[in-house]
Amino acid sequence: MLIHFETEASPGVRQYLPYDDRTQTLRQIKDYPRSFTRVPAQPLIDRPLTLSELTGPTEIERRLPTGNADFSCLVPGGPRALGQFMTVAGRITDEDGAPLAGALIEIWQANASGKYIHEYDSHQAPLDPNFIGQGRFLTDAEGGYQFRTIKPGGYPVGSNDWWWRPPHIHFSIFGMSWMDRFITQIFFPGEPLNEADLLLNGIPDPEARQRVMFEPLPTKVTKTLNILEFRRDFVLRGKSKTPELL
Amino acid sequence: MSRAPVQTRTETRPAIVSPYGTIGPFFPFAFVDDANDLTEFEGRKAMGQHIWLAGTVVEEGNVPTGNTLLELWQPDTNGIFRHPLDPRHADADPGFFGFGRARTDRQGFYRFRTVLPGQSREPDGTIRTAHANLTILAIGLTRRLVTTIFFSDQPETADDPVLRCVPQSARPRLFARKDNALAASGLPGYRFDVVLRGAGETPFFVD
Ligand SMILES: [Fe+3]
Repeated sequence: MLIHFETEASPGVRQYLPYDDRTQTLRQIKDYPRSFTRVPAQPLIDRPLTLSELTGPTEIERRLPTGNADFSCLVPGGPRALGQFMTVAGRITDEDGAPLAGALIEIWQANASGKYIHEYDSHQAPLDPNFIGQGRFLTDAEGGYQFRTIKPGGYPVGSNDWWWRPPHIHFSIFGMSWMDRFITQIFFPGEPLNEADLLLNGIPDPEARQRVMFEPLPTKVTKTLNILEFRRDFVLRGKSKTPELL
Repeated sequence: MSRAPVQTRTETRPAIVSPYGTIGPFFPFAFVDDANDLTEFEGRKAMGQHIWLAGTVVEEGNVPTGNTLLELWQPDTNGIFRHPLDPRHADADPGFFGFGRARTDRQGFYRFRTVLPGQSREPDGTIRTAHANLTILAIGLTRRLVTTIFFSDQPETADDPVLRCVPQSARPRLFARKDNALAASGLPGYRFDVVLRGAGETPFFVD
């Protein structure tokens, strides 16, 4: 289904197709808690996109303030959080490959022991006084972003530890409109827990699954620092109107 | 920063849009707290009728759904979106940003303080019934759920392009109702309850 919305009065209107289920996480995953009590039973209703959906918060940092993008310590130069120091860099584009400049990114993650700063986290693991693991920053003019952090630990789900989540970092991204508001979690390659993770393996397409993996870059050994570097690009839904689709 | 290669697009396989994921159980409270008040922006008070917009979220079996994130996006009291696509955006209320966040407590209850939206006007002149957009994110949902909130005591425009897509019998579930029990601090309350799944399920839209 193509969604058309354009008039002479509104140049610059973008085109949003519904998410292609072939590249997305299954809506319901066997054994994944609550997906069978929360995912609507009725079919989703098709509707045209109006201004309401095609607009969205702009300059969202005026509502959700950003900070610095170094999560590896609380204050610059202060004691480093426990765990493997690492950096992430990447670029956010739309489906045309056009960069999304000024997109707001929120990240949140567990500390090296797999513990979140969160009232509902009952995992018996210590907090790290030098780690908060949550914050916001913006993409630059090229859609690029980068941050420093420490590698999160895995953590158990449920009271009887029946499922250990592999290490991952959560991303929340505000794109250009209400239609490309995006949330996901990104995994680390080579983690044995990845093989049995319900959410990671809830993406049936192997190529799409690679899009939620950090790509390791060759480790740089410098005089001062041995840096573990990862890359993760994102393609958010949406494209400029192109002639063949009009 | 090096540029990532542009995705190859073909007829059958366009660029792979990054896979959506669940928000999980640990979305930071700090990202939500204080974000549920839309009636003030950068020191200015929003124009129009301030209201409480509140309700509960439940799942199958009428079980309260705690720890969900709700995001609201709506036009101002005159129906203007603070966004350049709205032809009237130059006249948008400088005291109204239009975006807010709330989370449900353990009883499934959420609450926004916002402005009763006005009727928005599409670039082609179509007038939309006053409404707000709501997104719901929670454990168990690998994709967001999107719906639209209308207000039962506000005039309905003929043939609202979104409302007309909803089966007649399900339309009342998209209307927030005035509820005196929610009124507080001199502001009227509107109740919008969400049923994620089961009897009385809230209509959600293709996303
Ligand atoms: Fe997590």
